[in-house]
Amino acid sequence: MNFTFRRKRITGVLVVVPENERSFAAEMKNFNFPEARSLKLKEVMGFDKRRVVEPGVCVSDLVVFGLEHLFASDLLKREEIDALLLFTQTPDHFVPPTSNIIQGRLGLKQDMLCLDISQACAGFVIGLMQAFMLLEQESIKKVVLVNADVLSRKASPKDRNIYPLIGDAASIVVVERDTEDSIIQADLKMDGSRAGALTIPAGGLRQPSTMETGILEDVGDNNLRAKDHLFMDGAAIFNFVQTEVPPLMEGLLARTGVSKDEVDYFLCHQPNRFMLQKLAEKMKIPYDKMPNNVVEHFGNNSGVSIPTVIAYNLANRLLQERVRVCLAGFGAGLTWGAMLLNLGPLSFNAIIEHK
Amino acid sequence: MDKAKFYEQLAKILDIGEVKPEHALRDFEAWDSLAALSILAMADSKYGVTIKAEEIRSVVTAEQLANLVESRMKK
Repeated sequence: MNFTFRRKRITGVLVVVPENERSFAAEMKNFNFPEARSLKLKEVMGFDKRRVVEPGVCVSDLVVFGLEHLFASDLLKREEIDALLLFTQTPDHFVPPTSNIIQGRLGLKQDMLCLDISQACAGFVIGLMQAFMLLEQESIKKVVLVNADVLSRKASPKDRNIYPLIGDAASIVVVERDTEDSIIQADLKMDGSRAGALTIPAGGLRQPSTMETGILEDVGDNNLRAKDHLFMDGAAIFNFVQTEVPPLMEGLLARTGVSKDEVDYFLCHQPNRFMLQKLAEKMKIPYDKMPNNVVEHFGNNSGVSIPTVIAYNLANRLLQERVRVCLAGFGAGLTWGAMLLNLGPLSFNAIIEHK
Repeated sequence: MDKAKFYEQLAKILDIGEVKPEHALRDFEAWDSLAALSILAMADSKYGVTIKAEEIRSVVTAEQLANLVESRMKK
C-alpha cells in the first residue's frame, strides 16, 4: 500500500536507554552451549553490549524521564504537545492507555490527543505515518511520537535465541509541519497469516498467564522458554526479511524515481548485524550506507531501533545538515514498511541514560 | 550446481575441515540454530533459493541438503 505525505518534517530525536548495561561475554555461561559456539554467535550476530531496565521499570518511566529532560533543556514545551502517540508492545497496563498515564504524570494539557498503538519493529515507520496524518488537523501543530518497549522483561534468560539480543529503550521524536513543500513517500505491507512467527503466546486474554504458562519448557536446542515469554522463529523471520524487505525498498525507490545512489543512508530496524549485512548484500548497498551497529551497543530495541540508528550514527551531522534517507521497519504482525524522506537539520538528536 | 563447492561452504559454516555427502548434519558438534541460519543465508546469497528451517530439520545428510538446494534452483 502506497502513501504520500506533504509538508511534514521531523524536528528532533531523543533516545532514552536504561543505564544498566549487560554484556554478552558475562551472560554466555547462562546458556547450555559450548563456549566456542556462543563466541561464534557473538561474532556473527554482533552480540556484545545491551541496555536493559532494572526490575519493575515500565515504558512510562522511560518516556516520562525523556520528556522531562526535553522540558528541562528547553527543547520542548509542555503545552506545545498536541498529540502523544505511543507505539509499544509492552504497555504498563491493559487499561488505561499508557499514553494517558504519561500525560497524567507529566501534567500535560487536557486539550490534546493521547493514543496507544500496538506495533513493534515497524512501529517507527507506522508512527511517522500516523503523526503526518494527525498534522493535517489545524489544531495539531506538534506531535510527539514515542516508540518504547521493555521486552527484556518478557525474554527467557535461558533462551539463547532471544535473550542476548533484546534491549530496552524509548524514543521521543517531534514531528511538525514543514514550511517547505516537502514530499514523503511510504510503502507498507502486512501479513497476519504469519503472526505466529513473533509472539508472546500467553498473558493476553486468549491465554491468560497462570502458574503453568510461567513454567520453563525445553523448546529444543538446549533452550528453555515459558509461554509467558517472547518467542521468535528466527529462521522464519530471516527468510521473511530477505524475501520481503528488498522488494519493498526497491519498489519504493522505483515508484519515486530515486536511485540507490541518491539515498544517503538506508536506516533499517536493527534485528542483528548478520541480518542487516545479508540485507545490504542482497540489495547491493555498501555496509556503511546501511548501519548495523545498534545491536552490539544497545541490543535490538524494537520500534526504537531506527531512532537509535539516527541518534547514534548521525548525531552531530543531522544538527547541521539535511540528508536523504530510506527507512525500513519490519517485524511482528508480520508488518513491513519503508519510507523515503529528508532528515535534518534537527533541533536535537541525542541519546540519554535513564537513571 | 557444483556439489564439491557446496560441501566446502557447508564445512566452513560447521567449523570443520571436510564435509562428506554421507555425513549426518546432526552429528556435527557445531550443528545448532546458528548453523541452520547460516545455511539459509548461504542458500539465499550463493544459490538464490529460499529454504525453510523445517526443511533443513527434515534432511539428514549433507547430500540430501545439497539435493534440496539444487532442486529449488531448477524451479
